[in-house]
Amino acid sequence: MSNALALESIEGGYEPGLPILRGASLCVAPGEIVALLGPNGAGKSTLVKAAAGLVPIWSGRVTLAGRDITGTPAHRMVHQGLGFVPQTENVFANLSVLENLQLAAALVERARRREIGEMFALFPDLDRQRKLAAGRLSGGQRQMLAVARALVASPTVLMLDEPSAGLSPKFVGTVFERLRAVRDTGVTILLVEQNVKAALALADRAVVLVEGRERLEGRAADLADDRRLAGLYLGEAA
Amino acid sequence: MLQLIADGLIVGSVIALGAVGLTLTYSILRFANFGQGEFMTWGAYLAITALAFVLAVTGGGVMEPLGPFSFGWQLLAALVIAAGLTASLALLVDWALFRRLRRGNAITLVIASFGAALALRNLIQFLYGTLPEYYTREIQIAIRLVPRDTLGGLRVTPDQMLVVGLTAVTVLGLHLLLTRTTLGRAMRATSQNPALARVAGVDVEGVIRSTWIIGAALAAVAGVLAGVVGQVRPMLGFDLLLPLFAAAILGGIGSVWGAVAGGFIVGLAESFSVPIFGAEYRAATAFIVLILILLLRPRGLFGERG
Repeated sequence: MSNALALESIEGGYEPGLPILRGASLCVAPGEIVALLGPNGAGKSTLVKAAAGLVPIWSGRVTLAGRDITGTPAHRMVHQGLGFVPQTENVFANLSVLENLQLAAALVERARRREIGEMFALFPDLDRQRKLAAGRLSGGQRQMLAVARALVASPTVLMLDEPSAGLSPKFVGTVFERLRAVRDTGVTILLVEQNVKAALALADRAVVLVEGRERLEGRAADLADDRRLAGLYLGEAA
Repeated sequence: MLQLIADGLIVGSVIALGAVGLTLTYSILRFANFGQGEFMTWGAYLAITALAFVLAVTGGGVMEPLGPFSFGWQLLAALVIAAGLTASLALLVDWALFRRLRRGNAITLVIASFGAALALRNLIQFLYGTLPEYYTREIQIAIRLVPRDTLGGLRVTPDQMLVVGLTAVTVLGLHLLLTRTTLGRAMRATSQNPALARVAGVDVEGVIRSTWIIGAALAAVAGVLAGVVGQVRPMLGFDLLLPLFAAAILGGIGSVWGAVAGGFIVGLAESFSVPIFGAEYRAATAFIVLILILLLRPRGLFGERG
C-alpha cells in the first residue's frame, strides 16, 4: 500500500542559493501519527511549509497517496486532500469561529466538505464560542479552531506546525488528546514539534531532522529512550 | 445649519464611496492606490460614452427625465456599463503594472500608482478634452423640505437625495457581500493573513482581481454621482483624492464602515468650513482633517491598533 504522504529528497528554501532543505525525506503511512523533531533551525517548519506549497521546492517530490503533488499551488492543496495548520496566526482573527469554519467549508467541493456540526461535536469548546471573533479565543481554543478549520475540508493528511507552541501544559494535553481523536476519524497526521516528550507520547513514529535532512527515525516508543535523540539536539552525530 | 449638514452629506456620499474602494484595495493589496481618484474620473467619462451608446441604441437620442430626477433610465444603464468598464480598466492596469510589482515593497507600488494616475488622467484629457461635460442639461428645482425659519431651512434636489440614497444602498450591499458571502469572507481572510488564506484554500489572486473589480466599480459609481450633482471634468477624481485619503485614514484604513463614516465627516467638515473660512478654503479642510487625525489618532476611528 502506498504511503499517505511521502517527501522524497526535498531540496528548497526561501531564497535561491540559500538551501534550508538539503534532501529531506520522510513518509507517513495511512492512519499514522508521525512526529517531525529536530533542533531549532533544522528545517522542520520549512519542510512542512514546502509540502504545503508555501516554500519553493527546487528538487525532490511530494506524493499524496502515490499522486505527485509537487508544485501544486498552496490554495489547491486542500482539494488534493492535504491540510496544513501553521504554527502562529493560524486562524482568521477578524472572522468569528463560525465564519472561519464556513469559509473553509465553502472553499472545497461539496463531496469533500465535512459538516460544521461535526467539528463542533469534536471540539465542544468551539460550539460555545461560535459567534466570538477568533482573535478573542484562548491559545488552546485557537489551536482547536485551526485544526477544525483544516478538518472541514476532509484532508487525508493533516500537517501541524508546533501545535503546542505557546500553550500551557494543561492545554497541550487537551490539544494532543483531540489530535488522537482526529486520527481515530481516519486522518493521517504529520506533526512538527519542539515538545519532544509530548510528541513522542502522541506519535506512532518520529523522524529527526538536522540541517535540512533526516538523521534518525524510528518508533516513537523506542526513540523516547534513545540517547542518540538527545545527542542530535546537542549537535552530536547520530 | 440643516442646509450645511445636507450639503456635507451629499459631498460626503461621493467621498465615502471612493474611500471605501480605496480602503478595500489598501487592506487586500497592501498599498495606497493613488489611482483611485482616476478610476472615479474614468467611471464618470465612460458613463458619458455609455450614455451616448445607450441613447443611440434605444433610438431617439433624447433622454426623458425619470420622475423627479434630471436624467432618464438610460443614465442608470450607462452607470452599470461604466462600472463594468472601469473594473475592466482596473484589471488591465493591475495586469500591466501592479501584478509585476507585487513581490516588491509597498513604496514601489505606491509610486507606480502615482505614475498610473498621471497616465490615466492625461489619457482622459486626450480622449475627451478638458472642457466640462454634463450628463443632462435639465434644470432641477430644489425642493424645500424644511421651512427657512427652522434652523435656516433645507432645500435639496431629487438628484442630491438620490446620491445619498444610492450611496447608502451601495455601502449596505458591500457590507452584505463582505459578511454573508464566501467571496466577502475570503476577502476579509486575505486582508488579515494572505499566507493562511492560501493554506485554507483561498485563491488569493482571484480575491485580488475581485478587489480591483469592486474598488473600481465603487469609484465609477462615485464618479458618476459626482457628475450627476456637478460637472464631469478631467480633474474630478484628482481633486477628490485628498478627501478620499482623509476619509479612509480618519475611519481607520482597512475599515469599510470607517471609510463611510470618514467620508461623511470630511464632507461635513468641508461644508461647515464654507461659512466660517469662506469657500476658497473648502478644499483645505480635508488637509486640516488629515493632519489632525495623524496627530491625534493615527489608526483612525475604527482602525485596529498596529
